[in-house]
Amino acid sequence: MKAKKWVSTLSITAIVFSSVLVGCSSNDKNSSDDGEKVEITLSGWGGNPSEKKLLQQTLDDFEEKHPNIDVKLDIISDQYMDVMKTRLIGGEAADVFYLDAFEAPGLIKTGVLEPLNEYVTDEFDIEDFEKPMLEAFKKDETYYGFPKDYSTLALFYNKKMFEEAGISEPPKTWEELRQVSKQLTDGTDRFGFGVAPELARLQYIAESDGGDVVKEGKANFATEPVIDALQPIVDQHLEDKTLAEPSEVGASWGGEMFGQGKAAMVIEGNWAIPYLEDTFPELEYGTAEVPQINGKQSTMAYTVAYVMNKQSEHKEAAWELISYLTGKEGMETWTSKGFALPTRKSVAEKLGYDEDPLRSALVAGAPYATVWQDSPNLPIITNNFNNQFISAYLGERPLDEALKDAQKQANKEIKKN
Amino acid sequence: MRNSRKFSKRMLREAGQGYTFMFPVIFTLGLFVIGPILYAIYLSFNDVQLLGGTSYEFVGLENFKEIFSDYRAQVSLKNTIFYVAIVVPSQTILALVLAATLNAGLKGQKFFRIVYFLPTLTSSAVLTLIFMWMYNQNGLINQLLKIVGLPTYNWIGDPAIALKAIMIMNIWATAPFFMVIYLAALQDIPESLYEAAELDGANAIQKFWFITVPYLKPVTSFVVIMGIIGTFQLFDQSYIFSGGDGGPNNSTLTVVLLIYQYAFKSLGTMGYAAALAIALAIVIFVATIIQRKFDKEESLY
Repeated sequence: MKAKKWVSTLSITAIVFSSVLVGCSSNDKNSSDDGEKVEITLSGWGGNPSEKKLLQQTLDDFEEKHPNIDVKLDIISDQYMDVMKTRLIGGEAADVFYLDAFEAPGLIKTGVLEPLNEYVTDEFDIEDFEKPMLEAFKKDETYYGFPKDYSTLALFYNKKMFEEAGISEPPKTWEELRQVSKQLTDGTDRFGFGVAPELARLQYIAESDGGDVVKEGKANFATEPVIDALQPIVDQHLEDKTLAEPSEVGASWGGEMFGQGKAAMVIEGNWAIPYLEDTFPELEYGTAEVPQINGKQSTMAYTVAYVMNKQSEHKEAAWELISYLTGKEGMETWTSKGFALPTRKSVAEKLGYDEDPLRSALVAGAPYATVWQDSPNLPIITNNFNNQFISAYLGERPLDEALKDAQKQANKEIKKN
Repeated sequence: MRNSRKFSKRMLREAGQGYTFMFPVIFTLGLFVIGPILYAIYLSFNDVQLLGGTSYEFVGLENFKEIFSDYRAQVSLKNTIFYVAIVVPSQTILALVLAATLNAGLKGQKFFRIVYFLPTLTSSAVLTLIFMWMYNQNGLINQLLKIVGLPTYNWIGDPAIALKAIMIMNIWATAPFFMVIYLAALQDIPESLYEAAELDGANAIQKFWFITVPYLKPVTSFVVIMGIIGTFQLFDQSYIFSGGDGGPNNSTLTVVLLIYQYAFKSLGTMGYAAALAIALAIVIFVATIIQRKFDKEESLY
């Protein structure tokens, strides 16, 4: 009797348990040997609803032209890179996904991205891309991704405030900017100039004196030319009191600060244009190229590419998708509404963005822009810079001291890798 | 001889039966609790590269040694300890006072019990976002301070203030949870003790101090230990507050946030992150033991 009970206990447990396990492992790979149709996944971060609609439209066009390929759009709305890295480690990542230029060198180094050189045809016309954006995803003559769009930075200025202050033209040089900031500032309610004290927004200023923020993959921003170039930002905040960061006036970013009328000028990118249109439709503003520093034009550029997962099982189909989305046709649909600027010169010309009153200043910056990217260690360097720069910005300690500490810490962390 | 008789066939069978019943639990616990812990310990002794061909390289105690020369690890530990030192006593005292007032038999105390408990029911992420609105430069808190004529602060952007802003928020949010525990314990205090004290001429404060507080000691020690463990693991609030970087000027960088950064933000430092996590576990362990020690000594007296 006892033995029988034992057996039955065992079998019941086994049944219960195996049913649990079966429930977990529903992950059969659809090998699609018989059916022609393949499904590929595309991962990206979400945008605003109209952006999402536009992307869906581009994908629908693609599916129509390639009836044997189904594209599944997978939106990762938060912590995109964390999710992506975890999925890549687990072998569950999408076939095609977005990759910010900022993260590209690190990911290329690990070898999880498919080299795309052998897929590229003459028809794809690689020469058509804006060069700085294309180079951002290239390593040793190998392309790992093609930029889908980009934005540079430009000076946004409030026309009404300029008129009231009797200023006819946006500032052309950094000295002028500092001068007019004084005229435009009104106590602590309104600042002449709004700035985000982050390396991503300041790198071109930091390097304007000939210094290098990153040198041979290591932090190098505590050097004299970089400190000298950044000092005016700190001075303008502490001495002139005509410059503020968004949180000081209760805004979360420059566009909001500008829209609320708490800053007469900000330096922002293309993303601010649809935002201001939606949120502050009454605002009268113009854009101009970023003021010259030491007689030199400079700005930042931010770009994102489509890359292919090396572990993808449908590489041919994945390339079809990439080549369509970054091709002339797909890019034209995607950038037609102006949420992002096309990285192909021919598309930019066709859509007329170089003549657009608000976007021409952004397009003009493309050839001389510094792409926000450097060695794989840039995330570490940025984190340390941002953290310590703010203490100098707030006047808690001298800039050179803060940056020296930040550099030391960054390089220590880099050595760890 | 005795031993061999002890494990008779029947006993083995019964043991087998028992373990079979327990198997699902042992398996799940092993897979999701014990397994990860052992794996984390293993990781902490290795140099780990997960992305693009997983590789482990045994480095011994190298990861642990690095903690001592890591400036950010020291800052995060300092922040966390400061946080624990302020938040644990404050929330414990606040919880006790709240519970005592609710137990005093005032009118409408059921209503207030619900109101006080509300913050605990809200998710901490949502609470943090709401507080960030209130902490905004032009937000509710600064407006109130202005009306009363007190100085206003840049709660989120000022390195000297940011961590304190999180403290205030957390004390407010966690105290009610411990208040409920105190409230349950307060019901257990025999009324006769208070009566006896009254006969001896004790006033309300004396009754609270000499009867309520000592009587609640076991509960207090539970509350303090839970508080220490909870506050040492501060992550979500400072993560949301700083947008993940522990800024401004590393002022909201906590140990767990730093672990997260090393594990997921920078590539190839998973082993070091695991070492930090184990170091944190040791710190919490030691802090709890110290707390227990204090408790024992007092109860002797």
